[in-house]
Amino acid sequence: MDIGQLVGAIEIPKLSRFLPELVVLITAFVLFTLDLALPSYLKRTVLPTLSAAGYVIALLSIWITVRDPGDIFYGSFTNDLLGVVVKIFELLIALTVLAFAGNYFRSKNSFYGEFYYMLAFTLLGAMILASSYNLIIIYVSLELVSIGFYILTALLRGSFISKEGAFKYLILGGLSIALASYGAVFMYIYAGSLDLREIFKYSGQDYHYLILGLVFFLIGFAIKIGAVPFHFWLPDAYQGAPTPVTAFMASVGKLAFFIPVVRIMPLVQEKFAFAWMLTVGVIAAVTMLYGNFVALVQKDIKRLLAYSSVAHSGYILAGVAVTQVIGLKAVIYFLLVYAVMSAGAFFVVSMLERSEDWENQIREFSGLRFSLPYLAFAFMVYMFALLGVPPTVGFVGKTLVFMALSFDKLWWLAFIMILSTAISTGYYVRLVVLMYMKDKEKEISLKGRSYAEIASLVVLTVLTFALAVFPDLVWRFIGPASETLFAR
Amino acid sequence: METVKATFPFLSLSMLLPAVAALLVVFLKESLSKVVSLAGATLTFVLSLMVLFLFDYQRTQVVQFYEEYTILKELGVKLSLGLDGLSLLMYFLTTLVSLVAIMWSVADKQISFRLKEYYIAFLLTESFLVGVFASFDLLVFYVFYELTLIPMLFVIGIWGYKLRLYSAYKFFIYIFVSSLLLLLGIAATVVTHYKSFGVYSFSYFDLLKNEYSLGFEIFLFILFFIAFAVKTPLVPFHTWLPDAHGEAPTAGSVVLAAILLKMGTYALLRFNVGLFPDATLALMPFLVAIGIITIVYASWMTIVQNNIKRFVAYSSVSHMGFVVTALFLLNKEGLRASVTEMFAHGMTSAGMFMIAGFIYSTLHTFNMNSLRGSVRFMPLFAFIVAYTAFAAMGLPGGSSFWGKFLTVLAAKEYSYTLALLVLVGGFFSAAYVLYMLKTLFLDVREESILIHFKDVSGFKLASFVSLLIVIFLIGFFPHLFFNMFEGSLDFFLKNLLKLE
Repeated sequence: MDIGQLVGAIEIPKLSRFLPELVVLITAFVLFTLDLALPSYLKRTVLPTLSAAGYVIALLSIWITVRDPGDIFYGSFTNDLLGVVVKIFELLIALTVLAFAGNYFRSKNSFYGEFYYMLAFTLLGAMILASSYNLIIIYVSLELVSIGFYILTALLRGSFISKEGAFKYLILGGLSIALASYGAVFMYIYAGSLDLREIFKYSGQDYHYLILGLVFFLIGFAIKIGAVPFHFWLPDAYQGAPTPVTAFMASVGKLAFFIPVVRIMPLVQEKFAFAWMLTVGVIAAVTMLYGNFVALVQKDIKRLLAYSSVAHSGYILAGVAVTQVIGLKAVIYFLLVYAVMSAGAFFVVSMLERSEDWENQIREFSGLRFSLPYLAFAFMVYMFALLGVPPTVGFVGKTLVFMALSFDKLWWLAFIMILSTAISTGYYVRLVVLMYMKDKEKEISLKGRSYAEIASLVVLTVLTFALAVFPDLVWRFIGPASETLFAR
Repeated sequence: METVKATFPFLSLSMLLPAVAALLVVFLKESLSKVVSLAGATLTFVLSLMVLFLFDYQRTQVVQFYEEYTILKELGVKLSLGLDGLSLLMYFLTTLVSLVAIMWSVADKQISFRLKEYYIAFLLTESFLVGVFASFDLLVFYVFYELTLIPMLFVIGIWGYKLRLYSAYKFFIYIFVSSLLLLLGIAATVVTHYKSFGVYSFSYFDLLKNEYSLGFEIFLFILFFIAFAVKTPLVPFHTWLPDAHGEAPTAGSVVLAAILLKMGTYALLRFNVGLFPDATLALMPFLVAIGIITIVYASWMTIVQNNIKRFVAYSSVSHMGFVVTALFLLNKEGLRASVTEMFAHGMTSAGMFMIAGFIYSTLHTFNMNSLRGSVRFMPLFAFIVAYTAFAAMGLPGGSSFWGKFLTVLAAKEYSYTLALLVLVGGFFSAAYVLYMLKTLFLDVREESILIHFKDVSGFKLASFVSLLIVIFLIGFFPHLFFNMFEGSLDFFLKNLLKLE
């Protein structure tokens, strides 16, 4: 072979397509180094400031990436609109997590420098996961996100429940990654390619390998997104993790783990749309029913929100079952806005946890409006949004899913969704009623509210309305993104 | 349907005004909230009077004052506001009753705490209700339809009587869950439109062009119907109403009974009859039967109530039975009767709930037995009670007379048996009203306690008087009233019979 040919085959990567990830990667390594080098009193201010600066720069750099769509690294990394919009939300929510984490860990008396660089690495994994079709890259970034989450979950000093959650998550998460990679192997055997697009384009004789591979791959992801019957780790991990981390897991984590499934959605349509619809539909139905039923009897607010997160996985999966453009749009929109709502709800809880003798019990919410009116208002907004009351984002998400379901005439799934939303009314409205219509049970006061926290909550609350009333804000991304995914 | 663009944004302004007043209440002192909300509601009412004068009554089938703002182009969601004759009537009802409710609240001693939230809730309800009746976009309609739930949840849950939390839950869950079926129905209608025309649109005018197979149309009809039947309410979906209306504070019950129930019947006419004419015709006997069952069953239930508020609440259900029966008779008199009865019931039920509220504020009880002979020493109040009650019963000279009279006429067009059935319903409703009047006027109790009661006065009197004036006007000048909406009903009839 001629050396010239070899050199010619080397692609010079257009790093502008990889810019946000690159920034976050550098931030992570800088944080890592500084955590080792700096004395601890400096760390408390330097690490959060630096992470925030890094994320802001990454957000700004998206301005450059968005104009230059295409593949780099020999097709293993795809920069497209879907990836971009997901990354915007991931970075935004990571920024808000930083705002709450500092005060939270201080109040729990467990400051770790590790938190900041693990957060950055996890975020990096989530960002890469959002924009790749390559099985190896998906596998590696999946590992990156998961390992980050295991560690972040365990970061609460002296808390048994935190360690327990992390351990459960570790075991089931490991299983899920093993299954996903096993599935990836079968898919590779089938088509001889690692690129999902190539795999689904290839029409070979041995369909069994593809089906087997897809099933394993999807079970792996079903564990990650907490679909029933693979959800067992989720409530424990959500309850055990430090609450800002829970917020991060419920929003960015869910977003990132769903994206590969979203990317497969348009690809399966010709070959096994019906089998896909049936399988995903049944899982979605079971997930939303189970999540809502169990959430109804919870006494711990974090577990309640965790089961509500399971239920929302069900709603989103209902959209995934419809392999049409409208289904894809519904799923992307719902994913993005669920990230906003759930992050907001968990942040409110994380602020409340700083109050003395707060035990995360639901009854403690009674009369919250009298002690903390603004926080109660924000929490009410998130509850109504999760329930799907207009004009919040949750309502628009549910409308889109209903439209998608009626597109494929999946009436049974639509009725199950109505039923499970009906069940969910019970616990969401109970919280609102407790906060606004019951008398105060005990005094709740917050010490040291920071401006960053207040600003973050305001932004999330405004987004909860704004993305629904002015949907064009995200729709300019979602529309073209799903059109291009289907055009491939 | 044609539209005429608005030269001045009356409708968006009458949605904004109460909302702005609510915003002012948030930021101003608590003591000012009464004044601000009264001013807001009055201004909105004046605005609606202007609309009433500027409306072109020669062409009530045309959607006038039409405004359109795009929300999401790709899915065809627009904030499109307009009024045809039917909407105009409901819009006027909204602004009038909201003003009355706020006037009442100002004088109501029951409302003594958390004033800001109370007035915000009422002002927002008014704003949302204008949105409900003026929207010609199904998604926007749905948004406002659901939004009215939230302020009412708070009004019942915070300022209500003993069972307030239970009633608030029940109210919210019933209506929220049933309207999810409506949301699915809307989504399915829009998708059907997309499949035949290639564009998404939530616009009422576009969706009128849809064509369905009969089976699918009936399916969609039922999805819409259940939601509106719970809201209206029709037996057997009515059980939330006596609790919600019985436990809400007076002004809350007034708004609930006078306007919120009308959302159900208005939407039945506008959407069920308008969008699914074939299914309506196919299901007509069944729908009329539900209407008559509602009248008779609710009348029976009314007579046995011992709590005067629940009494009025059940009587509302039976009136709504009249509205629905008349509506689904699907002829000219029927539709006219139905709309008349909607408006008339808005007036009389508001009046009845205010009567119950006034009695409670003097005697501190809702129990019918302790109310015996209670109005004797309050002559002005006694007159109000008598006039409102006779108007509700359907005596000539009151507003409900025309509704009930035309319903019987409409039923007669099909058969005398049907007309007789409707008359039986009317008989029972006369029975319970007379029973109430007997209890309040003729029964005897120890009179020494009663003599010291002060008669109705001030803002409460003003609220009563404004209702009585409207009841009187409709009772004696019905042709002016019919003129307001007749043309818009012809549109539905033509649509039903496939006439161009």
